Parts: sequence; structure tokens; C-alpha cells
Amino acid sequence: MMLRKVIAVFLLVALILAGCGDQENQGNSSTKPGEVQKGGNVSIPIVGDPIFNPWHPNAYAESNIVNRVLFQGLTKPGLDNSPTANLAKEWSTSDDGLVWTFLLKEGVKWHDGEEFDAEDVAFTFNDLVLNEALGSNGASNYKTLDKVVVVDPYTVEFHLTSPFAALPSYLAFNSEILPAHKFEGVEDPWDYIEFNKENPVGTGPFKFDKYVSGQSLTLKKNDEFHNGAPNLDSVTFKILPDLNTQIAQALSNELDIFVLEDKSSLKRIEQASNLDLVTADITRYFWIAVDQENPKFQDVKVRQAMLHAIDRETIIDTVINGYGTVANAAITPDQKQYFKDDLKTYGFDPEKAKELLKEAGWEDSDGDGILDKDGEKFSFTFDIALQGDMEQIAVLVQQYLKDVGFDVKLNTLEWNAMIQKNIIERDFDMMLNWWSYPSDPDVLAQYHSSNAGKGNNIPGYKNEELDELLEKGQSTSDPDERKVIYDEIQDHMAENLPYIYLWYPQELSVRNSRLSGLPDLHFGGTLHYINEWSVTK
Amino acid sequence: MLQFLIKRLGQSLVLILIVTVITFFLMNLAPGGPASMMRMDATEAEREAIAERLGLNDPVTVRYGKWLGNAVQGDFGPSLSSGEQVIDRIVDRFPYTLQLAAWTVLFSVVIGVVLGIISARNRNTWKDYTINFGSVIGLSVPSFWMAIMLILLFSVQFQLLPSSGTGDDAGFMDRFKSMIMPVIILSTSTLPTIVRFTRSSMLEVASQNYVRTARAKGVKERTVIYSHALRNALIPVISIIGVLIPRLLSGTVIVESVFGWPGMGRLIVEAAQSRDYNLVMGVTVIATILVVFSNFVVDIIYSKVDPRVKNLA
Repeated sequence: MMLRKVIAVFLLVALILAGCGDQENQGNSSTKPGEVQKGGNVSIPIVGDPIFNPWHPNAYAESNIVNRVLFQGLTKPGLDNSPTANLAKEWSTSDDGLVWTFLLKEGVKWHDGEEFDAEDVAFTFNDLVLNEALGSNGASNYKTLDKVVVVDPYTVEFHLTSPFAALPSYLAFNSEILPAHKFEGVEDPWDYIEFNKENPVGTGPFKFDKYVSGQSLTLKKNDEFHNGAPNLDSVTFKILPDLNTQIAQALSNELDIFVLEDKSSLKRIEQASNLDLVTADITRYFWIAVDQENPKFQDVKVRQAMLHAIDRETIIDTVINGYGTVANAAITPDQKQYFKDDLKTYGFDPEKAKELLKEAGWEDSDGDGILDKDGEKFSFTFDIALQGDMEQIAVLVQQYLKDVGFDVKLNTLEWNAMIQKNIIERDFDMMLNWWSYPSDPDVLAQYHSSNAGKGNNIPGYKNEELDELLEKGQSTSDPDERKVIYDEIQDHMAENLPYIYLWYPQELSVRNSRLSGLPDLHFGGTLHYINEWSVTK
Repeated sequence: MLQFLIKRLGQSLVLILIVTVITFFLMNLAPGGPASMMRMDATEAEREAIAERLGLNDPVTVRYGKWLGNAVQGDFGPSLSSGEQVIDRIVDRFPYTLQLAAWTVLFSVVIGVVLGIISARNRNTWKDYTINFGSVIGLSVPSFWMAIMLILLFSVQFQLLPSSGTGDDAGFMDRFKSMIMPVIILSTSTLPTIVRFTRSSMLEVASQNYVRTARAKGVKERTVIYSHALRNALIPVISIIGVLIPRLLSGTVIVESVFGWPGMGRLIVEAAQSRDYNLVMGVTVIATILVVFSNFVVDIIYSKVDPRVKNLA
């Protein structure tokens, strides 16, 4: 009897719930099909609590997404990925390349009504980025910057210690300007909770509305946005650390757009009629670094043999579902102006690999299946961080390398521990990772000898010829001259393999089909144009 | 009674102190450091500047001493990842976990006791077997998998329940709907235990002389079960609730992540991953106090319910 009552109550509750379908995000039904709708809300997932300050040392990917909508940089990526005007309307460089002059847009208002001007730019760079004691996020991108000088309220000069042609591209990359007037009298900008966590003031298309830690952040439209009022009324960032929840919410129209890092749910999304999958090129490449202080890896033939031994095409097809292309150098295909597509490449050819190893003196002389030279076995450890598909990729790479006679041991580490061991202590034989960088071919930071051992030159590759080319590329502003230099750099990379290049991944984003007005860019790029987004019914 | 309270308080303080020592040294001696220092592209100078700012250049024993000195005054310091006070972050998140845990305990006890009685009264029948089978499934199926299945069924397929969030902005009905799936999943770690405990306790009590006497007197079966047997059978069930509290807290880690629930379970994961030492310590202390306190309350209730337990100490 009691059981029956319990069942009856449950059924009643279920019936009530059935009548309370989720109405969120369903737009205005009176809009005609295909018509661009003004108003509405777009929901975007982020994986953690954001910090509303792009320079904060704890501003990670989730903060970058939000800060791109709240704040504005002097430049932003154009539709061809090259820097275009934003808070700065135009810029020029001096003949010696040491002074860049930026003319700022007039009449741009901060969300609190104050006017944006040159003092804000000077404050952001002089007081935050160049203050070494603060350890600002991304400060290393501005190593060549000496100071920012205010010429007049709408003109600033960037004074450099050496020419830096990529400056406008870097200014478009997580380098948003902060309001000087809000930071007046603030002792420690990273402890300024009132701004960084509670009430940020930017110049972006959407302004702060409501934030519940661990749950969501809502931004409302800024009618006075300098590039035109947004179509949408609001943007909601939902804090959802679990990818499966994100996918479930996309399927039930509770989320509108996000990047699909894990491709295992691809089939389910492909079958959903309300979702589109959009691919885009991004400035990112995956690589393997071998410790070039270790004599075993110093012979270029060994590195070339490794690349011949790894079937990159198969890994791309199986692990990342074909969303990537084989990489031969560091300049990514999205940089169409500089990308060289006729570089030396290393197809899957284990026999060729063995031949190259033999030329380098490595042979399996005792028949135990492991290469040896002067009595020493070619044994090493392959460090791998637990992140996305990396472990799966590493297992395949290990097998391919074993097949040609390398004795490879896998060592799986948690991300934080990997950084400590591999990056800070530089304690590794071989590791797998990736680089993302602003859309400019200047990759000096990851390749120059001066950055070996401590900086971002992870493998510790040192080559004077490459150093010279990188310095030349960094100081040359003329695009045609730069093209020649970076062609040479790419040839050098493909031939000498400072890193063992794996692939250029393609970004795959899931978008609700009601979403329109997005430019043909990767997800991060489209956020710069969020004022043009709209939702249609 | 007073003597007992003082003794328990003393024991609790020692326990909390030991927990803080173990946690502090484990966290600080683990490889890596606060996430702000652990970016791929951070330079050595940037890492040094951050370590200096966060006071990480002192020896770990000195840092523990400083932390303890502040903590006993109620100051857990700032969160290393956001700069907010640790206590503020906990105060923000704690009510959500408490809400989830309270509903789960209530749900588990009510349903668990009912199912336990049904199981015991129908011993070795299909009802008993079904409930037992359900308990085993509940305990053995991974909760994250079951959570995803529920989301697919009730959020994606039938669109009846929200897949995440707390429904704070909406009315009571939305808040209630938001709670259903997290509570069900969290209950899978507690409900089966209560069912099995109630069942065995009921069976034990049912064979006691006073129950047989009651039946022999011709008392209605219903009265025998609910007035005579159940009251006594429930006593050991109360003690198990104390044991279930830590299990509940660890269960929130997964449930809160999958259902986007802004509670302490997620906070501790985020804190540990980003090596936010202060936040890990703050959450650990609060969680320890919670477990110690709930066990203490259970002991008190136990002594009140069971007159045989006179000497609490």
C-alpha cells in the first residue's frame, strides 16, 4: 500500500516536471525564419572561475575568453588573422623600428562612463606589464618593450630596446587595456578583488552584470560600444568543468558555442540536428622535444629518423579524427602570408629511419631489438602530461619508435608535476607538448639560443644561423622582406628539426545552428566580433 | 557530560591539528607549485616574482608555522589563485554542498529505511532480491557514469531536468528540479548502506523475544513492525549516518563537477589542481571540523535514543 503511494507521488512529480520544459535560450517565436534577431542571450561554457584581468598571473584560458568580451586591446585579429584597428585606429613605426606610434580612437567610453585615453595604455604597460615584481601574465611577450610614452591624450609611443615587428600582432593577443582611473591608489593590482573578481570595468561590447562563483557569469550589452552596439542582449558564461555536461547542454540547447577538445563524442554531435561543427585553422602546433644537451639526440639524422619512424598521418586520422595536418616547421597554415607548403617532409618510412640511424652509428648489433652504439643502448624516457589526448598519442609514438629499435619508457605525469620536472628543471629526455602563439611568424622565443635552458627554447637547440635569421625576422617590418626571411627559417626548421614536428591541429567548435553573424575565424577570434553575433529563430 | 564534552573537544583539536600537518606537508612537498608559476611560457624571472609575492621562498616548516598562527585566529589567508580570502570562497560555496548533503541524507534515510523494512519483511522473496540487487548496482556503478546517463535521459532526451546549475535565479520548482539528479547520484553511495543496515537490523530485532511476545499477544503486524521492532532497529542506523558523512563529502567532488554545482567538492579539486595551498588547507580544516562535528552529534543522538548507552565516555 505504502509502495503504491510512493510510486503515485513520483508519477505526479514527473507529470508536473514534464509541464515545465526549459524555456531558456529559445528566442522570440514571432521572428520570421532567417531574420537576424536583435536581443537574446548566448551561452558559452568555461571550465573554471574567471579573473577579470587579462594580466593577472592566474588568468588562464577561461579568463581569456571572458576578458576578450569585457575588455579591448589596441589591435585585434582581422579576418585574415593579421592585426587590425581596435582601440588604436592606426599605427606606424620609426625608421629604426625602435618607436611605434599608436593613434587612439577618440570617444571610447569605459563601462563606468569615463573616457578611455592614452593614460590607460601607459598605465597598463608601464605599471603592470613592465613591473617585474608583479610577474604579469604574458609579460614575457613584451621583453623588448622599454616604456610607453603618452604624447597626447590620443597618441602613445611604444619605445623598444630592439626592433619588434610583431608588436601589433602581440597587442591583439590577450593584451587588453585596463582603466587607469580604477587602479589609482591600488597597492597590489592582483589583490584588487573589487575589480578582478567583483566589478570589472572595460571597454568591451558587454559589461559585467552578475557573477556566481562556480556557477555562471552574465554580461549585458554595452550600448555605447565603440564598434557599434551588440545585437545580443546578454552573454552567459556557464562554469562547467565537465565536457560531458557541456555536450549534454549543447544537445539540449542550453549552450551555444564551445571548442570540442575531446573528439570522442563527435558522432553524437554530428547526429544532432540543432548543432553545427565548424573547423578552423589556429596558430598552434604539436611537437616532441628531445633534450639536445644529450649527445644521443644531437645528430640531426637521429631526429630525422625519429620522424620517419612515426606515422603521423595515422595518429592524426585515429586520435584526432583527421582534424589536423602534418607539420614540418613552426609557422602554422593559418598565417597564409608566411606559411611555406613545400618544405622537406618526413613520410612514414621505418626502413629509411633505420638507414639514417645506421648512418648515425646506431645499429642493433646484438640482435636484442634495441639500437646500440659503442656498447651503449639507445634507451630513454618519454615524459608525458595527463592532458587531453596526449597519453594516447604518446603510446602510439612509443610503439613506432620501438619498432625501429629505440628503447622508450613512458613516464606519465600530472600537468603541474610535468611543468616542474620538464620545464622548470629541464629534466627530460623526450617530451610531447604544443605551442600556441599570436598570429605572427616571430617564434624567436621558442628557438633562439638565448632562450635555451631557461626560456621557451625547450629542447635547448642552439644554432647561430637560425639565431641570426630569427633576429632579422623580428626586426624587419616589411612583409615581403619578412616573407623571404621566414621562408629560410622554415627551411632550416624542416631540415634540422629543432623540435620534432607532429601536426598543426584544426580547431573544431560546436555551434548551435541558431547562432549567426560569426566571422570565419577560430573560436577565440570570433569573440573579438561578438558584437556582430546574433541568434535567429 | 561536561567531562565528556571537554575530552571530545580535546581529541577533536588534536585530530584537526594532525590533519593540517599531513595535508600541508603533502601539498607542499608534491611536485609542482601554484598554477600561476606553472605556465608553459612563464619565464624564470616571472616565476621568481610570483614565488616572492606568494611567500613561497621560506622553508616549508616556517610556512606551516605562519599558516597555523594565522589559522588559529580564524585567518586562512588569501587564495593563491584569485587573491580572495579563503574563508570568503568557502562561505560562498559551503551552503551549496550543505544543501546537497542535507537533502541526500534525508532522501537516503527515508527511502533507505522504507526499502530496508520491505526487504526484511519479505526476506528471500523477489522483493528482497530486487532491493538487494539494486543496492549492489548502486554501490558498484561509477557515479560519474550514472550521472552522465541521467543527464542524457532526463536533460537531453526528455528535457525534464536541467543538466547543471542550481536554479538559484528561478523559483522553488527550478531549484527543486536542479537538485533531483545530484541528490540521486550522491545517494547511490549512501542509500544502499542504509538499506542493508536497516534490513539486517530489522531481521535481528524481529527474532527478539519482545517482538515474539507482541505477536503472541495478538498485536497487529503493522504495530509490531512500526511500534516495537522499527524503533529499536533504527538505533544502529543512526550510527551509520555518522560514517556516511565523509563518504558524502567525497561524493560531492564528482557530483558537483558533472552537474556544475558550485560547492566545496569542486572547490577542493580546483584548489588541489592549481596547488592553491591556502585554499586546500582551508577546505580541509572545514571538512575535518564538519566530519568531527557530525560524528559528535550522532553520538549524542545515539545516547538519547538508546537508553542503554549511559556512559558516553
